[in-house]
Amino acid sequence: MRKRLIASAAILLGLGFLPQAQAQETVFMSTQLRPIEEAQKVRDVILKGFAGQAVYVTEQPQQLNVRMRAEAAAGRRTVSVIGALHGELQPLQPMGALDDISDVATKLADRGIPANLMNLGKLGGSTQVYIPWMQATYIMVANRQALPFLPAGADINALTYDQLKEWAKNVRERTGQRRLGFPAGPTGLMPRFFQGYLYPSYTGSAVSAFRSAEAEAMWTNFKDLWQYVQPNSTSYNFMQEPLLADEVWIAFDHVARVLDALRQRPNDFVTFPAPAGPKGRGYMPVVAGLSIAKDAPNRAGAVALIDHLSTARTQLVTAAEVGFFPVVKADLPADLAPGVRLAANAIALTQNARDALVSLLPIGLGDKGGEFNKVYIDTFTRIVLRNEPARAVLDREAENLRAIMNATAAPCWAPDPASTSACPVN
Amino acid sequence: MRPRSLLFWAGVATMCAWVLVPIWLIAAGAIGGRQGVFLWPKSMLPPEFTFSALAVFLRIEGVGKALWNSVAAAAMTMAFATLLGTPAGYALARFSFRGQNAYRLLILLTRAFPIAILALPLTVAFINWGLYDTTLGVALVHTALALPFAALVTSSLFVGIPRELEEAAWIFGCTRLQAFVKIVLPLALPGIAATGLFAFVISWNEVFAASVLTVRERTLTAYLLTVLSESPLHFRFAGGLVLILPSVVFIFAVRRYLFAMWGIANR
Repeated sequence: MRKRLIASAAILLGLGFLPQAQAQETVFMSTQLRPIEEAQKVRDVILKGFAGQAVYVTEQPQQLNVRMRAEAAAGRRTVSVIGALHGELQPLQPMGALDDISDVATKLADRGIPANLMNLGKLGGSTQVYIPWMQATYIMVANRQALPFLPAGADINALTYDQLKEWAKNVRERTGQRRLGFPAGPTGLMPRFFQGYLYPSYTGSAVSAFRSAEAEAMWTNFKDLWQYVQPNSTSYNFMQEPLLADEVWIAFDHVARVLDALRQRPNDFVTFPAPAGPKGRGYMPVVAGLSIAKDAPNRAGAVALIDHLSTARTQLVTAAEVGFFPVVKADLPADLAPGVRLAANAIALTQNARDALVSLLPIGLGDKGGEFNKVYIDTFTRIVLRNEPARAVLDREAENLRAIMNATAAPCWAPDPASTSACPVN
Repeated sequence: MRPRSLLFWAGVATMCAWVLVPIWLIAAGAIGGRQGVFLWPKSMLPPEFTFSALAVFLRIEGVGKALWNSVAAAAMTMAFATLLGTPAGYALARFSFRGQNAYRLLILLTRAFPIAILALPLTVAFINWGLYDTTLGVALVHTALALPFAALVTSSLFVGIPRELEEAAWIFGCTRLQAFVKIVLPLALPGIAATGLFAFVISWNEVFAASVLTVRERTLTAYLLTVLSESPLHFRFAGGLVLILPSVVFIFAVRRYLFAMWGIANR
């Protein structure tokens, strides 16, 4: 028995050392489109027409950082193309992990990528660091059963936070259930709701007015709203599941995280923009970009892959398959699946709303992005869930926020008024 | 007698249900289809009977290779941990040497550092040594994680085998090595096998090192299970079922050795 064990161990050892066929492969590592079905669609459909040989690998955002750092330190690269969110690519830039791809930008000049998106890809510098890949945003989804409870005179496509509260209250009073839901679970995107939606709508700012009187009123209001919110919200990461389970009737989430519900039961749900507050309808566009690693093992293949991914055809396929929308000029086809159509409509309504107030993803925070999110989620937990006095909590958390801003020296981003030095927390 | 045996069987039934009902619910979720997982109240029988989620799960490109990598890494970990851990355990049990207690503590220290902190230097070192993105590299890290466990468990195993048996063998002319191989090893084998088994399981379940140190040669846990929590519910059930079935079968096959380790041998 022992001999056999040793023999098989030796065989396995040998296998570990076998050289791997990788001559002309282009390794495409992405923090987006990670879930199984989506990753599978990338491999089967989106990368289908690519002439070269692409290997699609998914990676958690924190680990992407570790890997790029390690590969840079050791001086040997495996990854050629990196696909990630704007905010995830940002910390890779100062560590010198990303190549200058201004040549690719010039090559793709005729694709019709809007100049403001293309500029985001420069990360505030003069050279192109990433090419915009796809975009998304956050939307609201409601079960049709909730529609009869809409407050009188409310336009679902132009709701205010007060009307949302009224609506959730009606639902609770008439059905006995708290059926408004937020993705406030451990990996839910709740911090983005505060940074890109609630704060801008009430204060016209995400950072500088963090502890203002408007913010205090906002939190009081939100706490009042929370009594109509499904208490399981603190464990929801993706709203599509409670929506499909009929546990939640009205939900806010990233479009990719409700798409499954819209796909499965397009006739049961309606989609609409997030509510507006006194300062406008805050909304946060999400941009994912494609970068090439410095000293990429296959730069030519990487350029070809980026070219392939940003053709109008691939972009439309991406929208139809995984629900991230084109960054290039491309009209969505009429025969779009009904679920995707629902999502696209809500995004268009959000972008074109008269009171729309664009909030960008945090810029210049580097690897402090997680701490930045924590400030908002802690503030929420303390004020809303633990009933601590709003004023005291805001003052305390403002100090944490100020420390992050000063440590990173990040200037303000929209909707906060531009600043020359670190964004002030007034 | 009768009420007591009733109690006994009730206890048996409870224990079985304790283990089997959750497994059944996972299986029902996996074969109940997309809509089935959202039905409430849950029925014990799945509303429809479809293998589509399971089939999609198993058809995902690269699952087969990842599964193979997982098995290979776990088997190597098992071999390394046993081959290195058993002598260490024997030394701890049979010899008294200076710093023995410190050594005992030192062994445990390898588990005291969170691997997330070690990730960066480890990855750099592995790239330089050419171990990056190989199954062998993953197995080596997993061996480091499993080794303290292997050394300490085998040491308590050897303590339990009377020294007199070995001494008798020496008297009859065996060398130290012969006495070990002919007398001690056969007695300790079930326990050593169980130790190897646990090394296997540690490697099978480990995610972080496996995903940081590999790009193409991912193990099943690194390849799929990290993203499982972000996938639709019926996929999670399918993935859960795919994951537990092999381990249940495996444990069933080697249950004799497990009992041996827990000190209820000879049944």
